[in-house]
Amino acid sequence: MENEKKGIVFKGNNEGLVIVIPDDYDFSKAKAEIEEKVQNAARFFRGAKIKVVYRGITLTPEEEDEIRNVLDEKSGAIIESLSKDDESKLNAFIAKRPKKVPVSSHKLFFSSDDAGPCKFVRSTVRSGTRIEFDGSVVVIGDVNPGGEIVASGNVIVLGALRGMVHAGSEGNRDSFIYALKLKPTQIRIAEAIARMPEGSDENKICPELARIKDGIIEVEQV
Amino acid sequence: MGEVIVITSGKGGVGKTTTTANLGTGIALQGKKVVLIDTDIGLRNLDVVMGLENRIVYDLVDVIEGQCRLKQALIKDKRFEGLYLLPAPQTRDKNAVAPHQMVDLCEELKKEYDYIIIDCPAGIEQGFKNAIAGADRAFVVTTPEVSAVRDADRIIGLLEANEIRNPQLIVNRVRPDMVKRGDMMSIEDIIDILAIGLIGVVPDDENIIISTNRGEPAVNDSKSIAGQAYRNITRRILGEDVPFINLNNSDGFLAKMKKLFGIKPA
Ligand SMILES: Nc1ncnc2c1ncn2[C@@H]1O[C@H](COP(=O)(O)OP(=O)(O)OP(=O)(O)O)[C@@H](O)[C@H]1O
Ligand SMILES: [Mg+2]
Repeated sequence: MENEKKGIVFKGNNEGLVIVIPDDYDFSKAKAEIEEKVQNAARFFRGAKIKVVYRGITLTPEEEDEIRNVLDEKSGAIIESLSKDDESKLNAFIAKRPKKVPVSSHKLFFSSDDAGPCKFVRSTVRSGTRIEFDGSVVVIGDVNPGGEIVASGNVIVLGALRGMVHAGSEGNRDSFIYALKLKPTQIRIAEAIARMPEGSDENKICPELARIKDGIIEVEQV
Repeated sequence: MGEVIVITSGKGGVGKTTTTANLGTGIALQGKKVVLIDTDIGLRNLDVVMGLENRIVYDLVDVIEGQCRLKQALIKDKRFEGLYLLPAPQTRDKNAVAPHQMVDLCEELKKEYDYIIIDCPAGIEQGFKNAIAGADRAFVVTTPEVSAVRDADRIIGLLEANEIRNPQLIVNRVRPDMVKRGDMMSIEDIIDILAIGLIGVVPDDENIIISTNRGEPAVNDSKSIAGQAYRNITRRILGEDVPFINLNNSDGFLAKMKKLFGIKPA
């Protein structure tokens, strides 16, 4: 969607934020739009420590400082650095996003831009077991107390989640956790941590989805 | 060819030794030849629970190191025909035994005995690895406590990782009155988490303490309710389909258990 609008695009990566500025923008237009965008997304950045790179036009050191100040003031985040991303990476970035994405039939695993490849776990994740995966994890079974799943993408538990799950472990705040029975000791999404309220010990299956809203983890029935 | 059953738990003090002594005696009472092996090196007490302490000459490590023949180390229980004990040494290090030696020992015993029951030490270290090495089958003992269930879960994972499939659960020291009040985990809660088959539920029973002190397993005491539970487990081991004891004298529990095992209510 953002691509279509042809405006400035914000994109998260492992270390922080990538700002893609269209080639035909000049500095003042870019600055104004970044300011507006950051303001709208301020709650998204609050308290986070981020490295920022930008792509598209090249800014002078003075202009870079100005952008950095805007980000600093308006986002509430701590801006560790701001620099131009090198061209080779930019090209790779553009090449990866063709206008029409063909449905790739040769890929054996599910893949999306932010969830990565997918690992299926076909057994109960028992106490003392830790599963780490760069991508999303689907558990066909329960995650028991003392069991842990750490995934850079989403985590789906087709069973009861009673242990600890960390989705978006590399910082992707769009990651979600889904379970048929959500009774975890703790869940984490990116840097956010949540514990479940005590009590509510119903044994019914009641699918729930946890994701970040306004900087905190929210759970909703689905 | 006999069968090797290891009695494990993870958490200490939940009743592994009590279970080993009672099931071993129970199976012998059914006319089978049984060897009990205590693998809790340095903290042996199966011999005490069996009332055979004063007859120990050789032990498990003596057999493994070739200090004596296997037959010499096996203590024959004079009260129960067909029951033998291979005790643990009290003064040796856990590393005196390696898993492959336990495999060899179990293979040897299986030729002559119907059941070999191994009392596993608490924990997940060397002693645990030795105890499960030669096992065909595993029983996991837990009490209805969150910490014990957590450790049981860990043990089940380790058993599965060691190719001991389908371990079965014994829930020990259940107090129906507390379960009813909601102060104790129910059998259903426990099975819901551990997701393995149940082979026995043993109530908390002071007869166990009395019989343990006397060195006379409760399974032989017709008045003990825990003894009855152990007799039932024994028959299940031997392949009989025995319904679970109605611990709290209400239909609810039994009906639930039946539901759990797919038995249609009568
Ligand atoms: N069903 C029961 N009712 C009452 N007391 C019990 C019951 N089962 C076990 N006990 C008591 O609990 C204590 C621990 O039992 P036991 O020695 O069998 O546990 P264990 O798992 O072998 O311990 P360890 O891990 O130290 O080897 C003993 O004092 C025993 O008498
Ligand atoms: Mg013991």
